[in-house]
Amino acid sequence: MPVEHDGISRRRFLDKVTRGAVAVAVAGTTAPLAARLGAEGPGTEMVWQIDPLKCIQCGQCATECVLDISAVKCVHDFDMCGYCKLCLGFFKPQPAELDSGAENQVCPTGAITRRFVEDPYYEYVIDEELCIGCGKCVAGCQAFGNGALYLQVRHDRCKNCNECSIAAQCPADAFVKLPAKKPYIVKHLRMEEHK
Amino acid sequence: MRRRLLAAAFVAGLLLAPTAGGAETIERFPPPDFETDYRLPEFARRAADSPVWQIVDVVLLAAALSAMTWLLLYKRSRNGVAVMTVACLAYFGFIRGGCVCPIGAIQNVSLGLADPSFVVPWRVVIFFTLPLAFALLVGRVFCGGVCPLGAIQDVVLLKPLKVPGPLAAALGVLPFIYLGLAVLLAATDTAFVICRYDPFVPFFRLAGPLHMFIAGLAFLLVSTFVGRPYCRFVCPYGAVLSICSRVALKRVTVTPDDCIVCGLCEDACPYDCIRKPTAEKGELP
Repeated sequence: MPVEHDGISRRRFLDKVTRGAVAVAVAGTTAPLAARLGAEGPGTEMVWQIDPLKCIQCGQCATECVLDISAVKCVHDFDMCGYCKLCLGFFKPQPAELDSGAENQVCPTGAITRRFVEDPYYEYVIDEELCIGCGKCVAGCQAFGNGALYLQVRHDRCKNCNECSIAAQCPADAFVKLPAKKPYIVKHLRMEEHK
Repeated sequence: MRRRLLAAAFVAGLLLAPTAGGAETIERFPPPDFETDYRLPEFARRAADSPVWQIVDVVLLAAALSAMTWLLLYKRSRNGVAVMTVACLAYFGFIRGGCVCPIGAIQNVSLGLADPSFVVPWRVVIFFTLPLAFALLVGRVFCGGVCPLGAIQDVVLLKPLKVPGPLAAALGVLPFIYLGLAVLLAATDTAFVICRYDPFVPFFRLAGPLHMFIAGLAFLLVSTFVGRPYCRFVCPYGAVLSICSRVALKRVTVTPDDCIVCGLCEDACPYDCIRKPTAEKGELP
């Protein structure tokens, strides 16, 4: 026969007190974060990006990303482009012909399309489906051209890992965190800012 | 013509070489003035995951936790839990690549609390809080069938062996040590170790560093004969949840009036979770 007792047992009481304490702790942990979110508004959380002024085109972006094909892709700031006929972002040094033969191209996947605009200007467009982010074209454009080609983390692909494994390897420390509502660096704007 | 252009490009390159490579890029070829009506293409911005997916994530997490609560506490359906496990493994694991997960969220929350300039996304805050709130109310339903890391270990479990009590107790301390370490390293913005050493995320993404594949395979191999080794002896979020679930308002229990203390359930539980009913002071004669 159950023993009659008034009130609650010691164990129930301790349970209740601990439950309350844990609930307060959880709420106390979350509240400041929620308050800050409310104050800062959406899109203020940080995402990974590459500072093109620091990037040294070492090529590790292509290999270090946790994704099979890197989230880093080459982008083109057309405002900086010289529309060179002999673009060393597109051609290998000393190409046999100035045409789009694979043997003349620096891009290992043929991701850059060269299109005639008007004499002597050519437009270069990157097919991001093919780009692997190796930065070979970036190195060529940086060394011999205006530096209009540069690498950026593409946020349609980036998982925004807490620990970006490319950033951990980057020898130039070029990975930065930007607010999610402005996740890209437009190079010519960045350079103006830098001056 | 071609040779001359090439030579010019190389000379220009050599002359400007000292300034190249780093921060300063000089405009070697002024942007052309086009005579045709060519227009400069826009800089291609590619947006991140649409916020719709983030909302879907949060809604599905809440729905999965509620469904698990119903299945466990009211329906008491093992098959239901199995279906939930596989469904959550498919969605939170393979479709969403194991990210965001509440285990990793510990670090973002820690850094967010330590560094006021670090904004934790709302989805991460909810992923961190919701399973804790559920655990306070109804126990660890998150672990039971929502967590993809637990699920992947569950689906490979073939023949669970009992881990000897003292060993299990000793290993059971590890999650708390790992939790302390992870919070410390995250709060000081040193490293996010939980994510770096997440053994199952390489499987979810079918990509990742080789050593993590090996670690993941090792865990899966052990999972075939020890029920959920990662959850019980590593997972830092499980440690936090265990504190919550210990004082949960309601939880799965053996019906005391019907129990004949045969001990079969105790032997059957692959995770050594069921203990013999104990008399509460004042409740039993």
